[in-house]
Amino acid sequence: MTTTAPDAGLRQMPGTSTSALPAPPPRWRRILRPVGTFARRSPMSAFWGLVALAIVAMAAAAPTLAPYDPLKSNFRAMTKAPSEKHYFGTDQIGRDTLSRVIWGSRSSLTIAFCAVLLGTTVGALWGLACGFFGGRFDIASQRAIEFMQSFPDLVLAMAIAMALGAGTGTVIVAIAITRIPFGGRVIRSVALSLREQPFVEAARGLGASNKRLMFRHILPQCIAPFLILATTHLGVAIIIEASLGFLGVGIPPPTPTWGNMLSDALNSGLVPPWWLVLFPGLAITITVLAFNLLGDGIRDLLDPRLRGSV
Amino acid sequence: MFSYILRRLVFGVLTVIGVSIVVFVIMRVLPGDPLVAIFGAEGYTKLTEAERASYMSQLGLSDPLWQQYLAWVQDIARGELGHSFFRSESVADMILRRGPLTAQIAFLSVLLSWLVGIPVAIVSALKPNSWADNLVRFMSILFIAVPGFWLGMLIVLTLLFTFGYRAPLTGANLLADPWTTVQMIIGPAIVLGLGQAAYIARMARSSLLEVIREDYVRTARAKGLSGRLVIAFHALPNALLPVITLSGVLLGFVLAGSIPVERAFGTPGLGYTMFTAVSERDVFVMQNLVFLYAVVFVLLNIFIDIIIAWLDPRIRLR
Repeated sequence: MTTTAPDAGLRQMPGTSTSALPAPPPRWRRILRPVGTFARRSPMSAFWGLVALAIVAMAAAAPTLAPYDPLKSNFRAMTKAPSEKHYFGTDQIGRDTLSRVIWGSRSSLTIAFCAVLLGTTVGALWGLACGFFGGRFDIASQRAIEFMQSFPDLVLAMAIAMALGAGTGTVIVAIAITRIPFGGRVIRSVALSLREQPFVEAARGLGASNKRLMFRHILPQCIAPFLILATTHLGVAIIIEASLGFLGVGIPPPTPTWGNMLSDALNSGLVPPWWLVLFPGLAITITVLAFNLLGDGIRDLLDPRLRGSV
Repeated sequence: MFSYILRRLVFGVLTVIGVSIVVFVIMRVLPGDPLVAIFGAEGYTKLTEAERASYMSQLGLSDPLWQQYLAWVQDIARGELGHSFFRSESVADMILRRGPLTAQIAFLSVLLSWLVGIPVAIVSALKPNSWADNLVRFMSILFIAVPGFWLGMLIVLTLLFTFGYRAPLTGANLLADPWTTVQMIIGPAIVLGLGQAAYIARMARSSLLEVIREDYVRTARAKGLSGRLVIAFHALPNALLPVITLSGVLLGFVLAGSIPVERAFGTPGLGYTMFTAVSERDVFVMQNLVFLYAVVFVLLNIFIDIIIAWLDPRIRLR
């Protein structure tokens, strides 16, 4: 490539000893440095970040980690308490709870990630347009967002999930729609304050189009708030997903999710066995805790002013 | 003040109209056939075209959408909310019979959240970074992460295994049988109250920490008032304003949260009705209940806004 040619020539020039210059740090070091800073500044968040990473790894490696098939019944071991063969016990039709909890992380995390990404992105783009164009479009959009926020999150998600019918895609859409107003509000205010900044004025003066101003000049500034928003809403998304599963409008059984496992436990009879209740709920709690604390840490690192506001 | 209330109410009416349109769009316009919901996918395929058409017109679903919407609005205005597909009880009766239980749960949980959250926040804010403060912060982070319905299931199981106790499942009338009612609502109220208390403690702590640093608090200390008096009469009233606003937002959280929590406890409140309606795909009941929840949420928020304006002249006079 032409851009690297002069550089390569420079390196071969006689008399220039490379040892005089400090060696550039290897690539992996440059990537890891912010992680190191993060760990030093908030060890608590870094620890829970590792936990979150472990949970994501668990979801990815579910087929190899799970000791049994999560869908396969073993009629010789039905409703068995935790033992050496089944660490988390088995359910009413002899499925291994540990395997189901591990596989459940897959659906729960997939839905939470996709829903937050979709909802926050749509909201952010909408907010960006509102803040940038202002005027009548902005006023109408603010009303629409207000209507959407007039519903408690879970009620709105339930109604949408029910209307669209059960399935992974519909649950993702249902949760994503409840996340749109948050993205819209936050990014709109960022865009509003950026619109009047001198660098945007300068670009406009140079003849940049609206599209260029929005995507080249304002959008990059929205990335930090976007990341903060997305991580803080992951926990909420996981809880909504679990609640939908618990209420029977999430992913339908037999596919295990933490929510529908708890629902199954309650449907089984008057008194659900304790291990069927304890473990899926514990999985939800630890996951939400990990993502919330990681989100707090990322927020403090990227923008300490936002503490408590997102 | 009067003009402020009027303005909020006009906005409230507009919001309710908007909300009704959103509910209608979700329940009737989004893809998904109500007949599939009623008869199930298998039953639906067994119906002939003529049968489908006749059911649709019986239910009023073959009219143009705007007519359906107006018919629904008229029904709401007359207080006739239609019938469930699966039960003989009308939706209006259902709400009147089961609503009070959920309202009591919500009220008690808000009370509990303040009784737990505020003292804890004061202890925490007076000695930042002490062991008590760290404990409070840890607990509030924990209770934000714990799903309420799971906590509810654990409480039911623990009581059952250790004391053989199960809260009564029927017969709720606060006046006729207060003791049974209290047993029924106390569980869900504690679970929902703790969930809110976590948010309230966090907000009250940070708000108190800010207020304590203000000049007028230092002045009060300097003129010789005891620390307790300064906190109670000078710092707390101002620090509580954002907490009241948050409490209003959290009420929406209680309304929604009571749905899975009532299922976990088996409490026959409105939340449980909502659960039954959603699991039976009972479109009309769902439509009316979702609308009701949204209206209650909007009204509560207006109520909170008015309280805040009454307490804080800075907002009222803007």
